[in-house]
Amino acid sequence: MFQNAAIIGVGQSAYTRRPEPGQTALHFMRDAVVAALDDARLNAKDIQGMAVASFSLAPDSAVDLAWKLGLSLRWLAQDTNGGSAGMSMLGNALRAVETGTAETVLILGGDATGLAGYAKVAANYNTATQKHLSPLGHGGPNGVYALVASRQIKKYGLEKSDYGHIAIAQREWAAKNPYAVYRAPLTMDEYLAAPLVADPLSRYDCVPVVAGAQAIIVARPDRAPKGRPGVRVRAHRASYNYDNQEGDGLQTGISTFASELWQEAGVRPDDIDVASIYDDYPTMVLAQSSDLGLIPGNDLARFCRVTIGERRFPMNTWGGMLSAGQPGGHAGGLNGISEAVLQCQHRAGERQVKAARLAVTTGYGMTMYRYGGTAAAAILERVE
Amino acid sequence: MSAGVPIWRCAGCGVAYFPEPLLCPRCHGGKFESGRVHEALIEEVSVIRHMIGQENWQPRRIASVLATGGPRMTVGLRDESGPGATIELFEEGTAPFGRAKSSA
Ligand SMILES: [Zn+2]
Repeated sequence: MFQNAAIIGVGQSAYTRRPEPGQTALHFMRDAVVAALDDARLNAKDIQGMAVASFSLAPDSAVDLAWKLGLSLRWLAQDTNGGSAGMSMLGNALRAVETGTAETVLILGGDATGLAGYAKVAANYNTATQKHLSPLGHGGPNGVYALVASRQIKKYGLEKSDYGHIAIAQREWAAKNPYAVYRAPLTMDEYLAAPLVADPLSRYDCVPVVAGAQAIIVARPDRAPKGRPGVRVRAHRASYNYDNQEGDGLQTGISTFASELWQEAGVRPDDIDVASIYDDYPTMVLAQSSDLGLIPGNDLARFCRVTIGERRFPMNTWGGMLSAGQPGGHAGGLNGISEAVLQCQHRAGERQVKAARLAVTTGYGMTMYRYGGTAAAAILERVE
Repeated sequence: MSAGVPIWRCAGCGVAYFPEPLLCPRCHGGKFESGRVHEALIEEVSVIRHMIGQENWQPRRIASVLATGGPRMTVGLRDESGPGATIELFEEGTAPFGRAKSSA
């Protein structure tokens, strides 16, 4: 448990499918920083450390961004772990603050690649993708996770509509999130009638690319705004290249540390009030939930139809990336953490889960070849 | 186009890999015998019907396959071969493809 480090502020930019001409990732990141500082009631001068992840920095590095933001720092990190970058940066920031390396750390992620820019990122994601997948016309991550989804459907006896329950429930949450790009209700008929993108995945199974940014501030607990409950992290774990791409992708790196995570946190999956599970695809929401032990009996079909279908468990209450949008995996992962913080502080407005006190958040990313190779998770707790 | 797809077999423990590793993930030996694998069993297939940022995209088929005596890999399929079929592998540039075995 982190005793001397807590999450004290969150902020985000607007999310948009189509950025205005001249509106770059840096503008969205600036907006998120300003919002997070305001939320934490800190000045930019108070920030001593920064962690950043973005596809849009090159040829700049983290220190160039510090310069552009006018931040003089004693701790700086740039993270490249895609969908788990948010969680990865959270862990590093907590440890930097806990050890006294920096008293206040800004965690930042944002992108505004546009569709063409995203296609370029997806085709050149790493050497394996560039050399062995892109020439097939594999469709980027959609194609990769289409194959994983086929395996999951076969192994667990899922129906296509099972993924629909996740997409539809999250859309219902998104209706209550003014930042979400898709807020109109989604029916099962609409879900099932949507055009296939990469069989068996159809439109509502694939995360929509947006422009946007998220920021979080980690600091010593005494820096938190007065009169607001704090949010501490009871446990944090991460995993990188857990199986050398030799499995089926239906387990994630979370499977390597889940029992340690719960043990260190001193709570059980049953105790969790609200969950932010990284949702680039419903398939991977199920894989991570299964690894975490959130699915009783590991009955994935029942989890979709009953637990989520009948709204018995609040998951991805900001709408998830599937409805709110994915501004790059980096910021997308941070959004789930921010939502968990707001829920624990009872600041989630119409989305508020009654008496929420404990949250689990995850990140999953870096589609190295056959599936993602990085994952991380944390247990967040409300402190009065 | 060349017949088969390259694989790297660990000289220490005999496990075959694709793509090429630096050290064997099983025994961490650094010596590999390079060879080619010519057949694979199709396990899953997807049709890529839409490609982000592309208009006039023609659907393409990809598959996750288990190479004979070798690793799992993702290939482009050049015909209608489906799950359960054994296909022959070939390479275009640096990418693995497959199609129904030509009857010898
Ligand atoms: Zn070996």
